[in-house]
Amino acid sequence: MSNKVSLIAAAIMLPLTMSVNASAINQTKGDFEDKFRQLGQALPTPNVYRNAAGEPGAQYWQQKVDYKIKATLDEKKRRLTAHQSISYKNNSPDTLKYLWLQLDQNIFKSDSIAELTSTVRTKLQSSPDKGKAKISLNKLRRQQFMADTELGYEIAKVKDSSGNALKATVVGTLMRVDLKKPLKPGKSLKFSMDFAFNIAEEDAVGARAGYEHFEKDGNDIFLLAQWFPRLAAYTDYEAWTNKAFLGSGEFTLEFGNYDVELTVPADHIVSATGELENASRVLTKAQRQRLEKAETSKRPVFIVTEEEALENEKEGTSKTKTWKFTAEKVRDFAWASSRKFIWDAKGYQQGGDEQPLVMAMSFFPVDGGDLWKKYSTESIVHTMEVYSRFSFDYPYPVAQSVNGPVGGMEYPMITFNGPRTELHDDGTRTYTQAEKRFLIGVVIHEVGHIYFPMIVNSDERQWTWMDEGLNSFLDGIAGREWDPTIPWGVEARDIVPYMKSERQVPIMTQSDSILNFGRNAYAKPAVALNILREVILGRELFDFAFKEYAQRWKYKRPTPSDFFRTMEEASGVDLDWFWRGWFYSTDHVDISIDRVYKLRLDTKNPDIDYARLREAELNKPISQFVERNKAEGRDLWIDKNQDISDFYDDNDRFTVTNKERNSYNKFLKGLKPWERKTLERAVKEDKNYYVLEFSNLGGLVMPILLQLTYTDGTVEDKYIPAEIWRRSPKKVQKLIVTDKNKELKDISVDASWLTADIDVENNYYPRRIIPSRIEVYKSKKNKGKVNRDIMKDIKTEIKKNEDKKEKPLTEDKK
Amino acid sequence: MRKSLLGLVCLMLTSAVNAHQLKAAITTVLFNDRTNNIEVMHRFYLHDAEHAVSHLFKKSPGRHNHADLISDKETQDTFSNYVEKQFKLETLTNKKLQLNSVGHQLDGQFFWVYQEIKVPDSVKGFRMSHGALRDLWPAQVNMVNVEGKGKVKTLTFSGEDIWLETKFEDK
Repeated sequence: MSNKVSLIAAAIMLPLTMSVNASAINQTKGDFEDKFRQLGQALPTPNVYRNAAGEPGAQYWQQKVDYKIKATLDEKKRRLTAHQSISYKNNSPDTLKYLWLQLDQNIFKSDSIAELTSTVRTKLQSSPDKGKAKISLNKLRRQQFMADTELGYEIAKVKDSSGNALKATVVGTLMRVDLKKPLKPGKSLKFSMDFAFNIAEEDAVGARAGYEHFEKDGNDIFLLAQWFPRLAAYTDYEAWTNKAFLGSGEFTLEFGNYDVELTVPADHIVSATGELENASRVLTKAQRQRLEKAETSKRPVFIVTEEEALENEKEGTSKTKTWKFTAEKVRDFAWASSRKFIWDAKGYQQGGDEQPLVMAMSFFPVDGGDLWKKYSTESIVHTMEVYSRFSFDYPYPVAQSVNGPVGGMEYPMITFNGPRTELHDDGTRTYTQAEKRFLIGVVIHEVGHIYFPMIVNSDERQWTWMDEGLNSFLDGIAGREWDPTIPWGVEARDIVPYMKSERQVPIMTQSDSILNFGRNAYAKPAVALNILREVILGRELFDFAFKEYAQRWKYKRPTPSDFFRTMEEASGVDLDWFWRGWFYSTDHVDISIDRVYKLRLDTKNPDIDYARLREAELNKPISQFVERNKAEGRDLWIDKNQDISDFYDDNDRFTVTNKERNSYNKFLKGLKPWERKTLERAVKEDKNYYVLEFSNLGGLVMPILLQLTYTDGTVEDKYIPAEIWRRSPKKVQKLIVTDKNKELKDISVDASWLTADIDVENNYYPRRIIPSRIEVYKSKKNKGKVNRDIMKDIKTEIKKNEDKKEKPLTEDKK
Repeated sequence: MRKSLLGLVCLMLTSAVNAHQLKAAITTVLFNDRTNNIEVMHRFYLHDAEHAVSHLFKKSPGRHNHADLISDKETQDTFSNYVEKQFKLETLTNKKLQLNSVGHQLDGQFFWVYQEIKVPDSVKGFRMSHGALRDLWPAQVNMVNVEGKGKVKTLTFSGEDIWLETKFEDK
């Protein structure tokens, strides 16, 4: 700490002249950057559909699309054939001459944009020692599968309700259907079509659905999603959302009601979006009784037990059964079908008026084992308990988790989750702790998606962060309420390597163009929201605003600006700087405490100040020259000639005379009464004035989380809001005043690692040596107990005394 | 047209498009002034790493051990050795920099593998290859931050990337 004594005026004069030019868009003089410029210019203008509060406006509208589908699964050919009729209600103020549908299965066609633009990145080297370029077996398998299997939709008989053929034009993953007569605002129409496609093998092509084949018993699990031509959304902000499906940007769809009949092999068990309407036709009496029992059971009840599932998968059948499902107010419909499924269920009695009972259910093959039996359905219930607190009651009758070839994917009321157990040679099944964490984590995450974006219907094709970021943030909360000892994501420290890297795009980037998908669209927004909740707004304000957002946009279609505006409007805190920094830029957090000055008030009283100056002089280190002379025993002239002395031997240069005292008295007389009072008090208190100098090296403005440690051992936390940077975004100074006996020992910034500050070393004053991970690892190695293999060691049998004697006396020096 | 050899990267695990995104590792290559070492710190998601080992185990038949990265030392060692073989560092003039293994560590949801080497004389940049997990599933992306030599340099290994290069600014 620079112990620099200098003078500060009795009144610290802050220059209060400001030249704020709020209307300017570009700063063209100097290098000042207004990190707090309001987002107004960057956000769309509020209107009657979306108001300035971030709420659906007075004339908010969205289309309604209802589907009636009859589909048949051909198990042998792994082919789906279906007929669907669609009711389209135009609630927009516009007249529509055509409708756009999404044909997601067409992404697998060889001429799709996704296939045509898939790239390889390989550096072919001419010299042989550089090795061969490589192609993976996976890639070859995919190519072979796609060459052997005709993929994509076959669509026929697109007709209006009178049976007239409608012109349908396929444009890659989209299809335009031209209407015979323009559809006016407020009017509805019906049309229908036949469609069919070959189901992709999920493991071969890599998709969000598909079939999985089990060599051992010859059966498949079918996961059907994005399986019917779905109406593209028509919106107030983009009109038709007919941007091609490239793979990353998922779906934005319309809400509506579904009436779906699924014809599958008679021994299959089907899990689907919606409520089963014909249980008496497709389930046995025992199964129906078990379902009823499950409604009030404390733990999941098996509807199909493991034994029954194993028996079921032994032989197939050529008979079929038709399962009927209905679903209301959903934006999509997905399903799963297999004779391998074990099925368990548990009623979640959430109360309330809307949906007092929700059936949480899981479907999994024997490979799911105890992992699924114990934790899948329970994780579904836990998710609803936590998420509803942050949003609204779960509004649907079922919430399901299905095990299949997909690692993790969500649809309304149904999710696909991948983790499984491992089979051992002795027939037992085990799973590791990591697999357990993964199962609980993925079920929470995917079921969480039923809230965001399946109910709070954000546009996934444009903004992945709006569902993945919000959902990752919430799954972190649900995870911590499951078991905080399990390391869940959302810790600021975990994104530090990403934040300091050079390969980044802003969070506000269209889904298909994102670099570093997981970190950009999942981790960074989740951490940012966590910081907003825990550091900037506090839980009370954040949770209120977040719930407001969820409730405002339940069953509606929010855009980023609606989220930003709601969070700001409901919390009452200007957060434009936060969205600007975290969502609109690639800045990172790196706040450095550069210097600290300690100052003492100049009293103007010569009897005090001169004495202090003398003391300061005496505190300076003695001249080495003089020291050495002394050591050598050099006699001084003044010592040898003490008989000669004068005035200056008794009075040093800090001696106060009446000249100074008169001038001091004159100064006092010249002060106004309030000035004298202020000075007197300040002199009496004699406080410590510390000037702390900070720089913002990362560019992202953030609050400064100060921790002050005093020489008396006390520690004080001080929160300096981000607004400290508003006039000087690169460097600021802060005055800290402490009582006379309260002296600063050291200072740290963000000592608890809450803000993803990328450089810890410059967060301390005085500086500390921050060892690297490897240095820490080397110094702690063998000291900590973390390296013990307790699970293995615990099986060690206790040695009896005789064993001890028998042990050969060889020394193992490994 | 130049003829080049096309090699195979062997069998991969399934590669689902996940709504639950993992399959991303971060490596820090740090010039440590205090120790005069280049420290290499690889950070993997535990779950990814464990699945990788379970695949590696399957390649050696007769094994009974199942991959368990949290409690099984053999799993940890197997994974560390695998990573160390998959990560290669060279000077810009193709001189191989043989990294020494330092150890590995479980930390929260991550598994870390550490390597190091004395800072070679007048190193002006690196050629680097980071194939860990990328031979197992194509979605894997390995990002490397080179720190302690001016501005952070980032290399990202994805797709079929084998060798990437970074040059340091003159200090």
